[in-house]
Amino acid sequence: MTSTADTHAAASGPSLDWDLIRRKTKSYFAHGLVLLLVAIMLLPLFYMVMMSFKTSTEIANDPLGLPASLYWGNYMEALSSMGYARSVLNSMGITVSVILVVVLAGAMAAYPLARLQNRVSRIIVMIMALGLATPNFVTITPIYVIFRDLGLLDSCLGIVLAFAALKLPLAVFFYTGFIAAIPVELEEAARLDNCNNWQVFWHVIRPLLAPVTATLSLFVMIMVWNDFIYPLLLLTDKDKLTVMIAVYKFVGNTGIDPTKLFPAAVLGSLPLLVMFAVFQRKIMAGATAGAVK
Amino acid sequence: MAELELKDVIKRYGATQVIHGVDLKVDDGDFCVFVGPSGCGKSTLLRMIAGLEETTEGRMTIGERDVTHADPAKRGVSMVFQTYALYPHMTVRENMSFGLKIGKEDKAEIKRKVDEAARILKLDPYMDRKPKALSGGQRQRVAIGRAIVRQPEVFLFDEPLSNLDAELRVEMRVEIARLHKQLGATMVYVTHDQVEAMTMADKIVVLRDGIIEQAGPPVELYENPDNLFVAGFIGSPRMNFFTGQVARIEDGKAIVALTQLGGVEVPIAVADLPAAGAAVTVGVRPEHFEPEGSVQAQLSIDVIENLGGVSYAYSSQAGSDLPVIVEWRGKDRPRTGGDVTVAFDPSSALLFDPESGLRIR
Repeated sequence: MTSTADTHAAASGPSLDWDLIRRKTKSYFAHGLVLLLVAIMLLPLFYMVMMSFKTSTEIANDPLGLPASLYWGNYMEALSSMGYARSVLNSMGITVSVILVVVLAGAMAAYPLARLQNRVSRIIVMIMALGLATPNFVTITPIYVIFRDLGLLDSCLGIVLAFAALKLPLAVFFYTGFIAAIPVELEEAARLDNCNNWQVFWHVIRPLLAPVTATLSLFVMIMVWNDFIYPLLLLTDKDKLTVMIAVYKFVGNTGIDPTKLFPAAVLGSLPLLVMFAVFQRKIMAGATAGAVK
Repeated sequence: MAELELKDVIKRYGATQVIHGVDLKVDDGDFCVFVGPSGCGKSTLLRMIAGLEETTEGRMTIGERDVTHADPAKRGVSMVFQTYALYPHMTVRENMSFGLKIGKEDKAEIKRKVDEAARILKLDPYMDRKPKALSGGQRQRVAIGRAIVRQPEVFLFDEPLSNLDAELRVEMRVEIARLHKQLGATMVYVTHDQVEAMTMADKIVVLRDGIIEQAGPPVELYENPDNLFVAGFIGSPRMNFFTGQVARIEDGKAIVALTQLGGVEVPIAVADLPAAGAAVTVGVRPEHFEPEGSVQAQLSIDVIENLGGVSYAYSSQAGSDLPVIVEWRGKDRPRTGGDVTVAFDPSSALLFDPESGLRIR
């Protein structure tokens, strides 16, 4: 027996599968669009790296062209004049300290806020969320005045405290949602296992926060590492300057020195890129944690 | 091990009272099962015993100790949760030894206890695995192992098998029963599964709306329920209830006319005879129907459930939301859509007061 569809197909001969063609076109278009967006995002980075290898003559003659060869002299000069190692160490010390304070204080603050279902905890969470929305320039002057009065200007403790306070709302926001999704039975089991509140937090809740901590740490790291305003405002001693301030050294009042600025910018971003590459998997796990059961 | 006693225990959440003056004694080494419909307070009561819920009023003792307001860890209880509640970042060994480590027990002693529990529960090959690498049954065994190593006076189980598939549930049921026998421990077990309750319990406590409706050995509750609720709740399939009226009193028996079964008369012997004309409810279990007997009725079969060794025939009745359920065994079983004559021995029928729901004995 032959069906009507078979008869039709036989009559019209081999036909194009328009549905398949449409699907493939859509897929190529989507992939093309993504590649274009990635290229647009990578363009400044590529430009920065490319410029860092050009001689001053090449930059003057053809600012948008590729370097004739990889000229490492710029890096040597930038390294010797910006105090790279010192500034990277300063940035790393400040960033790691801020992350430690923010992660610990944020998780400890978020734990009761996630578990207590009363009005006070909801109000505190709301205030914390407001902290996220507060523009930077609003807090600059009060922080400067308070830190001046407390004698915390030009001190590593001061800059760490300032960053920690500014990033704490983000941490509380991250952790509150994550902890709320942890089954309460785990805490109850821990209580039956002789744990007090601190032990429940430390032995049961804290280890479960690893993925979200990785993501939060990345966000805080990027924000603190790249921040320019607060180190400029609170630090004056050149031995305490962060890498971003050290990079800015090559921007003068009347012009810039591109042969040093671009390699300095590459060197300044390098530690961040390396850390991101190393922790990428954990960071992505944290960013998507809780999305599926 | 120790006995557990609750005296006039009450639980309130604000103005809402959920447990209403519960009195209960679980003897040393008994396996006590709390059953009841959803929201009856069985899990709340268990959590109150564990100390995870504060007891509003009343007294709770384990052995000689008053534990009414004691910390969960100081009560001498261990609990197995429905969701297992295993620490996901710890291995099986770490999960089982965690409580002892927190309690700062000697390392060698911790190892000995954990190894012993692992041996009992056949967990030795999985000790270095994390919970996510275990099956549901293995996880449940780890949760039980974690409870065992603490050597509690009372074990508490909160619907521990409800997350397992049917086959595994049967397996674990047997395993828990074996464990109870082996440890001789006092166990309190919450379930909504009647088969679990009937097969495992030394004592069943039937709860409804935060009140104990009846407590006793499974067979006692099955054969001698105190009220309509217990009679209907214990037993699967449930007991059949027929509305009737006492036609007369004859030879010390209440002759009840069952309006639902075409006015057939059933003589039921009770000590506390109701007055003639009183409305009553008669309960007959599905297995008490027989092909022949002194009380006969005609039923039209709507549905047959054939389980192999036994079949259940369902027959809807005018004036009742619930169908009559009849158990059939042997080869000569009815078919869907057919009419059958069924009979039952009046001595197996139970009499209830429809107003109060209480049994007339």
